[in-house]
Amino acid sequence: MPIRKRQPSVAAFMVVLTLLFGSESLLWCPTAWTQEEVASSIRRYRQRELSTGYYEEYEVKPRRQRALVEIPGVRGGFLPYSPSAAAAVQIRTRLADSHRGLKFYERRRCEDCHVQETKNIHTLRNGLTCRQCHGVEPIASINYYYSPMNPVRRHAYVCSKCHEGANASFAAYIVHAPNPALIQTKREFPVLFYVFWIMITLSVGIFVVFLPHTLAWNLRELFQKRKDGTDHEDQG
Amino acid sequence: MKTRVKRFGPVDRAFHALLIVTFLTQSATGLSRMFIETSWGKGLAGLFGGYNSALTLHKYVGLVMIIGFLAHVGHLVLRIGRHPARSLSGPDSMLPRFADIREFFQHIGWFFGKSPHPKFDRWGYWEKMDYLGAAFWGMLVMGASGLVLAYPMTSTKFIPGWGLNVALWVHRIEALLAMTHVFIIHFAVAHLRRHNFPMDRTMFEGSTSLESLRHEKAGWVNRLKQEGVLDSLLVSESGLFARVLYYTFGCAAIMCGVYLLVGGLLNSGRITW
Repeated sequence: MPIRKRQPSVAAFMVVLTLLFGSESLLWCPTAWTQEEVASSIRRYRQRELSTGYYEEYEVKPRRQRALVEIPGVRGGFLPYSPSAAAAVQIRTRLADSHRGLKFYERRRCEDCHVQETKNIHTLRNGLTCRQCHGVEPIASINYYYSPMNPVRRHAYVCSKCHEGANASFAAYIVHAPNPALIQTKREFPVLFYVFWIMITLSVGIFVVFLPHTLAWNLRELFQKRKDGTDHEDQG
Repeated sequence: MKTRVKRFGPVDRAFHALLIVTFLTQSATGLSRMFIETSWGKGLAGLFGGYNSALTLHKYVGLVMIIGFLAHVGHLVLRIGRHPARSLSGPDSMLPRFADIREFFQHIGWFFGKSPHPKFDRWGYWEKMDYLGAAFWGMLVMGASGLVLAYPMTSTKFIPGWGLNVALWVHRIEALLAMTHVFIIHFAVAHLRRHNFPMDRTMFEGSTSLESLRHEKAGWVNRLKQEGVLDSLLVSESGLFARVLYYTFGCAAIMCGVYLLVGGLLNSGRITW
């Protein structure tokens, strides 16, 4: 009896294909099953929220951008990274270990370098430490795709630890907000800069007029001569 | 003996008393949180049970203020509905008039002996500014920014999260403006002036002495005489117990305000803004 040669079926081919692509999915970012990510504010959140979409610009595109260690102001060119400038301040936006290569890193404290970043309400008034939000070592860059601080999942992984029910729009709160009075804030956070100065101008304007007014009024009454038992003898 | 002219009804006086209590509570709880880095702020927060409890109280009292504001607006609508023409225009209206600008400059001229004292009518320009600035501009700005901050999960469904940063600064600056205005300018005008010292109890008692009005609001007194309604507005002075109560309450409020003002100014360089 001739042995019938088995032909690979289409079904088997599909199984192999599924396993192949399925195994790749194991390498994808681990998500919390109950907490969806902001894959697209246009498709998802835009349907439920009225927002300017400010947080949209933070979204990352995995596998399309390199993990960069850049020098400020040198974002392109033939050699954007220079080892000789490694000691200088660098932009490390998408690194798994944002402090990679820093000398004596183990012996430093966060506030040794990030002085300004410690001056915020979360740290000063609620006693949070850096690691409570930024995680344990190695501390990933904010825009590193797998970082809990990545804006696609920050609201679910970080903010909601204290702020129950935090959404992606809520997570767009700027914890390390710049000083609103400074001129560079005009570029970094223009709405805050202009609103701050409008309010300050209003307040100062009121006091410039009414403080001298009140002082003059009080002095006038204080030194008013009494005539016929009245204070305002010259009121006409 | 009827020596005083009725100026405010019981509802207006109740609103003012409510505003005093809620405004001082909001000032104290808000400043205790703003100054929590200092020992003064910690002590202040301790009165309310600490940093977090102060915020809880701040939110609830803020809601009381907003409800009070809405009730006041409702009360205004009812009153305006009764006399729309007189309420919205003319000398009995709280809305600004061109005469206020003229009286403002004439008053300044009087400060320096350059012009006679203006014959103010029922409302002086400073009273209109206090009322419109505090009850309307202040309540709207503080109430709106406060609600955004008090319910961030809900508000960030309508505004982006960085709107909370903006709302916080608006709330802060407007609060400082309101407190310094009340604790310096309002107190100096209503209490510190020789004319009123130590306290103008008009807003508590509801009436002002006719003698005092003849000097400060001569225009109003003359108009009431011409209209023949002055006698109908004359009332007797309140009893001793009531006056003691008014002075105690008013002076206690002043002391609270001055304490907050001085404490805030002394410690303003010790906090991270």
